[in-house]
Amino acid sequence: MSVAKTGPGSPGITLGSDFRSTYATLLILMAAGAYAIGARVLGGLNVTGLTSITPWGVWVVFYIFFVGLSAGAFLLSTLIYVFGMHRFEKIGKEALLVSLISMVVALCFILLDLGRMDRFIYALWFGNATSVLAWEVRFYMLYILLLAVELFYAMRPDLVRLRGEASLRGRLAAALTRNRDNLSPAALERDHRVMRVLGALGIPLAILGVHGGTGTLFAVVKAQPYWNSALFPVLFVVSALVSGTALLMVLHIFRCRRQGRKLDLDLLRGMGALLLGFLALDLMLEFYEYLIGAYRLEAAEWATLTSIFAGRYAWSFWLIQIGLGAIIPVIILARGSRNSAGNLFLAALLVLAGIMAVRFHIVLPPLALPQLPGLPWGHYGPTWVEWVSSLGLMAMGMLLYVAGTNFLPVDGTAEDERSGNNG
Amino acid sequence: MKDNDQVHWAMVIDLQKCVGCDTCTVSCKAENRTPPGVTYNVVTEVEMGAFPHITRVNQPRPCMQCDNPPCAQVCPVKATYKMENGIVAVDADRCIGCRYCMVSCPYGARYFDFGQDYGQEMAGYNHLTTPEYGVNRGIRKKGKTPAGTVRKCHFCLHRLQRGEEPACVEICPGDARYFGNLTDPASVVARLAASIRAMVLKEELGTHPRVIYLK
Ligand code: SF4
Ligand code: SF4
Repeated sequence: MSVAKTGPGSPGITLGSDFRSTYATLLILMAAGAYAIGARVLGGLNVTGLTSITPWGVWVVFYIFFVGLSAGAFLLSTLIYVFGMHRFEKIGKEALLVSLISMVVALCFILLDLGRMDRFIYALWFGNATSVLAWEVRFYMLYILLLAVELFYAMRPDLVRLRGEASLRGRLAAALTRNRDNLSPAALERDHRVMRVLGALGIPLAILGVHGGTGTLFAVVKAQPYWNSALFPVLFVVSALVSGTALLMVLHIFRCRRQGRKLDLDLLRGMGALLLGFLALDLMLEFYEYLIGAYRLEAAEWATLTSIFAGRYAWSFWLIQIGLGAIIPVIILARGSRNSAGNLFLAALLVLAGIMAVRFHIVLPPLALPQLPGLPWGHYGPTWVEWVSSLGLMAMGMLLYVAGTNFLPVDGTAEDERSGNNG
Repeated sequence: MKDNDQVHWAMVIDLQKCVGCDTCTVSCKAENRTPPGVTYNVVTEVEMGAFPHITRVNQPRPCMQCDNPPCAQVCPVKATYKMENGIVAVDADRCIGCRYCMVSCPYGARYFDFGQDYGQEMAGYNHLTTPEYGVNRGIRKKGKTPAGTVRKCHFCLHRLQRGEEPACVEICPGDARYFGNLTDPASVVARLAASIRAMVLKEELGTHPRVIYLK
């Protein structure tokens, strides 16, 4: 186990000025977001474009988008910690961190969306066994806890090594590892066991509880035939894998470029191959979902699909979800090992935009239809408050990520090589 | 004993008698003093039958007070629940405003209270509120319950408690609405519900509405 000392002297990275502009941009966006959130808190949902016909809008869209990112990034990390795919080891802790942050952002979105934000705790205090949403909130809490603990154990050896550092990072590491500083092989072995167990528990939690569950939330609604399909939860999980992988690639490449670190092209190409596989599966499921939905010729579902394929959402469907979000990334990713980091970055970014469009097309189109003939149609358009607050929350997530990767040892170190050798 | 005493409120609406005057909608707004954007009752116009035997009927739409209410099924905090008398109630003090029930109601019967009011058009509008579900909430204020929660028709429960019919039933100039206890086989609603003209909306969803239409 002597390898443990051959890694870079100080795991993680140097704090430089390279992120100053990033921080500044994010802080400005967050300030704007805070202003919008202030307007929302004071004005209630009146400041949104929501109506009683279209009661869910962009906040719900971004909520399911971020839940998906979280579930996807977490499932990717289980490939390493549970299934022993050490090829992706380098990105394991980053995946857990991204997953944790995405989930926090998702919950902020749903909090913002509550008509009575002051009663958010009721969602935990009161329950309803037949309500998917009631189950979901509890799964989310468990999941966040699990992510935090697993991330801690994944970083523990490096945190202990950082304790001595006379910096903010060192003090943070010391505070986190106060009486958990044992680095003996037995202790490390125990850490790995804990992580395997947590990862294994997390898989059903992430698939069935968190993202499959979020899909189920929609799938059980018989009043919306377009959502009311058993494929929906599956589709949610697969699209989560797509978006989670894409997000990690985008963030990882962005950060390493900024830090002037050498990119591991092998790792990225491996992730690109995974992304291609997930995307292909996702497109196949989507195809069946649309085909079978359309074939039913059920009036509401038909009207929803028409608005997606040839109506109000046609531009975003064909251009963003299909063109930029699927066809171009598939072409790029199919080039496999000939891809540069730049290409992979572009492909992953486009995939993210595509999945975001998928989320829009899940929530909004069916909610424009009247439930009974003769009732009014919905004409929802998000207001500036909804857009700016959303941007602000996303900037908050990004800030947490940049700060997290700067202050926590999330990068591959000697410790990983050790387990790599074992595995 | 209990079974004999049990009341299960139901409404029957005769589509052949409804003249589409919207008096029920107006009387409901007046009775429940619902804010802008909240209309417990609306009268829609729908086409029935197939060409060439098409008729246009006026189809009032209150809350169906479903016996299998999807809205109550999905509510994460049980703010929406089925009362023993058949009415589906919303506890405005518990509702968190997630609006899951709204996307789940197949009849579009639920409305979000965005906190608006008619104060501009009508002096003193905020000073009188209706004791929905028997709860007197006093002056309507911004951000104060029921603002921020979901609302819907409740068969005028506060009037039923005083022995009165729902406002829409009482006022209907076409006498198209009947109200009563469905568990009493001698009641008008029970007899009309047994008529071959009786139908419910979206029967295939298995919601078992307590608002029965005569076509
Ligand atoms: S009509 Fe809608 S709101 Fe009324 S009980 Fe049925 S599902 Fe609930
Ligand atoms: S909006 Fe209120 S009544 Fe409707 S599901 Fe949410 S908590 Fe329940």
